[in-house]
Amino acid sequence: MKRCILALAWLSLAPVVWTGCSSGGARRIDAGGRESITTVGQVDIQDFVAAAEASVGKLLASGALDKVPKPPAILAVSLVRNQTGQQFDTDLLTKKIRVKLNTSGKALTTTTVGLDGVAEDPLAKQLQGEQQKAGVTPDFTLSGKIIETRARAGDVRQSTFSFQLSLTDRRGIALWEGEEEITKQGKRPSVGF
Amino acid sequence: MAGAVVLAGALLTGGCKTTVNTVERAQPSAQREMVADKRILTDASLARKVYVVGVNEARNDSGVLQIQLEVVNQTRSRQRFTYHVQWFDGAGMQVSSTTGAILPCVIEGRETRFLSAVAPHPACKDFRVQFMESTR
Repeated sequence: MKRCILALAWLSLAPVVWTGCSSGGARRIDAGGRESITTVGQVDIQDFVAAAEASVGKLLASGALDKVPKPPAILAVSLVRNQTGQQFDTDLLTKKIRVKLNTSGKALTTTTVGLDGVAEDPLAKQLQGEQQKAGVTPDFTLSGKIIETRARAGDVRQSTFSFQLSLTDRRGIALWEGEEEITKQGKRPSVGF
Repeated sequence: MAGAVVLAGALLTGGCKTTVNTVERAQPSAQREMVADKRILTDASLARKVYVVGVNEARNDSGVLQIQLEVVNQTRSRQRFTYHVQWFDGAGMQVSSTTGAILPCVIEGRETRFLSAVAPHPACKDFRVQFMESTR
C-alpha cells in the first residue's frame, strides 16, 4: 500500500517536472545566442551579429584604417541599402560595426557629417556651426548593400544574404571591400543554429 | 536477403558519408607560429568528432592579433558545431565586444578546416575558443 502511494506521488510529480523543462512561456535569451530563432527568408539578429563581426575582423586585419596621417581614422557612415524583401533598419548592421571600430581604437565615427548634409546628431552640428569651428573632414566613408538571393527545391527553401561593404578614402578609392554571405536552408523556422 | 538489407542500408547512408580528399604542398614554405594550448573537454563526443589539431597566431602590421585554428572532422559524416572566441587584455580582463558572435560551422567527413578570428583591439593578448555541438 505504502509503495502504491509512493508510486502515485511520483507519477503526480512527473508532469510538473516535465513542464518545467519544456515550458513555452516567454523568457529572456542571449541576443544572437544559441537559443535564437533561425528563419529561412529573413535576416535574423544572429546574422547581423555574425556579419558585423566578420566584416570588422577583416577590416582590422587589412590595416586599411591605419593609412591615415593622424590616427585614429575618422569615419562617416554613408548609405547602406537594404535590397532584401524584408524591412529593417540597416543600423542593425552599421551600428554594430561602428561600436566595434570605436572599441578597437582604430576609428572614430563623426555624427555631424551625413548624406545630403543631414547630420545624425543635429544638435552637435548646430553647436559646431555656432562655435564657427571648421567641420570634421572624414578620412573614410562606409557604404554598402544587403542583397537577398532566394532558391527553392520542393518544400526546401534557401536564402542567401550578402552583406557588401566598401570603405572609401578622400580620393574616392575603395581602400577596402568586404562581402559576407550567410546562407540558410530549411522548410520552416527553428530554434538554434 | 541479408545482403539486400546491407546494400539498402549502404544506399541510404551513402549520401551522408561523403568524405573530402585534399592535396597540398609536401613541404609548406610558410612557418606557422603554433600556440601551446590548454584544453578543457566536457563534451567528449564532440571532441572525438571534431578535433582541434592546433592553434597558430600572428600579429598584423597594425599590431592586431590574429588566430587560426585547424580542426579536423575525424568521422566519415558531416558534422555541425558552433564556436565562440573570447579575447583578453594583458591584465586578463575580457575585452568587451558589442557582441561575441556564436558562429556556426559545417565540416565534411575527414575534412580539415581553418577557423580564423581577429582580435577586436590591439591590446588583446590572450584568447579562449569554445566549441559546442550544433543544437540541430
